[in-house]
Amino acid sequence: MNDLLRRYQVTPAGWLTLLFTLISIVIACALSAVLIATTGFSPVDAAKAMYDGSVSGASGWTTTLLYVAPLLLVAVGSCVCVRAGIFNIGQEGQVLIGALGGAYAGLRLAIHGPFLLICVLVFGAVGGGIWAGLSSLMLRFRGVNVVVSTLLMTFLAQQIVAYAVNTSWFLQETPEGSSGIAGSESNPIPVNGRLRTFGQYPDLSVNFGLFLALAAALVIAFLLARTRWGFRLKLIGLNPVTARHAGVRVAALGGMSLAISGAFAGLAGAVLVASPIGSNRLQPGTSINVGWDGLLVALIARNRPGLCVPAAVLFAILRAGGDYLAATGVPSYLADVVKALLVLALVAPSVLVAAIRSRRHAVPTAPTPLTTAVGAPQGVAA
Amino acid sequence: MNAGEIHGLLGENGAGKSTLMKVLLGLVQRDEGTVLLDGHPVEIATPQDAVAHGLGMVHQHFSLIDGLTVWENVVLGDRGKVDKTRACREVREVAERYGLPIDPTAAVESLSAGERQRVEVIKALRRDPRILILDEPTSVLTQAESVELFSVLRRVVQDEGRAVILISHKLAEIIAATDTISVLRRGEVVFESRTAQTTPQELARRMVGREVSLRSEAAALGMLPVQHTGKEPTATTADVEPVLRLRDLVVEVGGLRVLDGLSLDVAPGEIVGLYGVEGNGQATLGELLSGLVEPTEGSIEISGRQVDTSKAGALHDAGLGVIPEDRHRSGIVLDMSVAENLALKDLDEVSGRWLMSRRLMLRRAQLLADEYNIVTPSPNAPVRSLSGGNQQRLVLARELSREPRALIAAQPTHGLDVGAIEDMYTRLRKVAASGVGVLLVSTELEEVMALAARIAVISSGRIVGVLPIAEATADRLGMLVGGEAA
Repeated sequence: MNDLLRRYQVTPAGWLTLLFTLISIVIACALSAVLIATTGFSPVDAAKAMYDGSVSGASGWTTTLLYVAPLLLVAVGSCVCVRAGIFNIGQEGQVLIGALGGAYAGLRLAIHGPFLLICVLVFGAVGGGIWAGLSSLMLRFRGVNVVVSTLLMTFLAQQIVAYAVNTSWFLQETPEGSSGIAGSESNPIPVNGRLRTFGQYPDLSVNFGLFLALAAALVIAFLLARTRWGFRLKLIGLNPVTARHAGVRVAALGGMSLAISGAFAGLAGAVLVASPIGSNRLQPGTSINVGWDGLLVALIARNRPGLCVPAAVLFAILRAGGDYLAATGVPSYLADVVKALLVLALVAPSVLVAAIRSRRHAVPTAPTPLTTAVGAPQGVAA
Repeated sequence: MNAGEIHGLLGENGAGKSTLMKVLLGLVQRDEGTVLLDGHPVEIATPQDAVAHGLGMVHQHFSLIDGLTVWENVVLGDRGKVDKTRACREVREVAERYGLPIDPTAAVESLSAGERQRVEVIKALRRDPRILILDEPTSVLTQAESVELFSVLRRVVQDEGRAVILISHKLAEIIAATDTISVLRRGEVVFESRTAQTTPQELARRMVGREVSLRSEAAALGMLPVQHTGKEPTATTADVEPVLRLRDLVVEVGGLRVLDGLSLDVAPGEIVGLYGVEGNGQATLGELLSGLVEPTEGSIEISGRQVDTSKAGALHDAGLGVIPEDRHRSGIVLDMSVAENLALKDLDEVSGRWLMSRRLMLRRAQLLADEYNIVTPSPNAPVRSLSGGNQQRLVLARELSREPRALIAAQPTHGLDVGAIEDMYTRLRKVAASGVGVLLVSTELEEVMALAARIAVISSGRIVGVLPIAEATADRLGMLVGGEAA
């Protein structure tokens, strides 16, 4: 118990980070208010809309919790590969491929009963895993930088999904009505391929995807902290040379961790198709930036699966609130700017504190791979 | 200190030499006290201030960029427009004035360690410093190169009235090259003297703070000559099966044969010293034996059995322990705890099939920390917080905990203070006495002379000669290192 307490003790640097975080959140809110005011809307109304849409009452929470599941899944996957020192920033593409896989299973496998749902989820995870696995292979055999390959694979994934929903033999919807024109989307997946929702409007309703994501976070947190696998992952992340010396197959383990993170993103994609966030159809925009945002969730949670849960909830609140805000007439890009400001406010303080500390103790320390790579996803997201 | 003098700064590692110099260079801010320059207190807040005050430094580890040429490295950090012709001319002028011949257009990566040192010195001198600081300048130089460097320093001091601060832990060097000496211990100047009026014994005593016997400690302090422990190798090594046999090892890196047909045997219970100037393939040999690179040709046998080096961890499993040259790179994980670092090569000991056991890990760490005298606030403390000596003891503890048949100790005392060096020597002797074959890779002549029963000399990736300790003298080894037959 003592040990546990010590681990979560707040250090002076921790307090400093907290203080900076509060200050920067205030600054972010002030900037947002100014921005909204200059575009002719009332900041107070906007804040109220954000609040109403996300955490006030059952319907707000219903929307928020719906968003938590995919965000959390992506973030948890991200924790796995970052632990191994590998930076996957192509979750958006992996989410799309996962959604494609899930939709394909749902629409093309003639399975009755709940087994179809399992197929949808498994196809999604495998799809995302393979997509990220391709980047692993590129690294292993051609030395292609993972950050670059995962990012570029995202654009490829977007094209594939666009092709799928525009090609009649693939996944395009069956033409309906007198016009006989098919849109750029798939048919909705059958009901037995969807995730169940507990609770009915106007009460709070919770989709099963949330439990799936929470379970994933728990399992990964346990695996990383307690198993040999987690220990080795941490080892190759912190010092790959020593890891190799200690007999760890660094390349294989690292590649596997990347594929696993892709699998979680793919699972998130399947959840997007199988839960009532969208229309249960595969669409070019099915991923709704969950991949990018999930990455930010992991960033804010400093890649700790446990901390990903509150971070994912926070992002879900911003999303649900942002949606509601957009519905009141405030342009949706303003909501995005507000969200971005808040992300910066949450991420910047820890970097700032680290900078201050390293300036104070000007002792040269061995460069860790983390310092260079953490910047990368940030830069892309910005 | 005065102009026109070489001032020696002696002290063990951690005595505060480097910190003092960092204060002078504006890298670290002092908490109290003043720095007087020409009698006036000065404020050195940034490295730029230091340059403005006429302080120039040559660091222990070269701060040169390999891919650039000599002149590019020299002008690095200058403000304003880069003028190649002018820079080259300046380099040539400085080089000529001090007798440091160098081609300004040569790429740094093609230079030897001695030549790189020259570039560093030129770089510092071109800025026309009034005070030149050299931090352990000879650690990568051969005897001849060191002598040359000191004669250049002499010229700088006598002809131009500059001052030089020479930081070193090698007594012999300090005594030979300086006019006055200060000894630092735990951040205080404990002794000051004219060089002519002191003795190595006196300095050693001041440095360590107690009487020093003239054996391994003397070696640690860099004093020659070293007296042998009088222990002659009892068994002739020929009739015992070697515990470690390196056969015709070739490693090519980028078309360059870094190891060129290296063969060496180590018998059980024997300490073999592999001596040579840094950069002759020792680092690559270390990586090879750590399983980080694979040999292009040749084989490694442990206890008569050939090891498949393509398999991760095969060498370790076969019973080879390694104290790596750069422990931060391949020995320890700074951000993991002491317990984790002690466990990382032997996960089976602290885990089941899948799950790690914190309890077992901590217990094992406690045992090893006690046995090897690793001073740590707790087994959960990150290794980063340990001193260099304790980090090195941790590596030793881990490597020996699996009872290896052979142990590679690459520069095992690099960066350690005298107490830790002494401890390391005792432990290495004890390990050898228990029947483990020890291969000691070192660039310190005194160290191999003090420990090894046989000394193999490496030059350009091959063994150029093996001498039993009884026949090994500094001169003969020096000639071998220089590529001459002894």
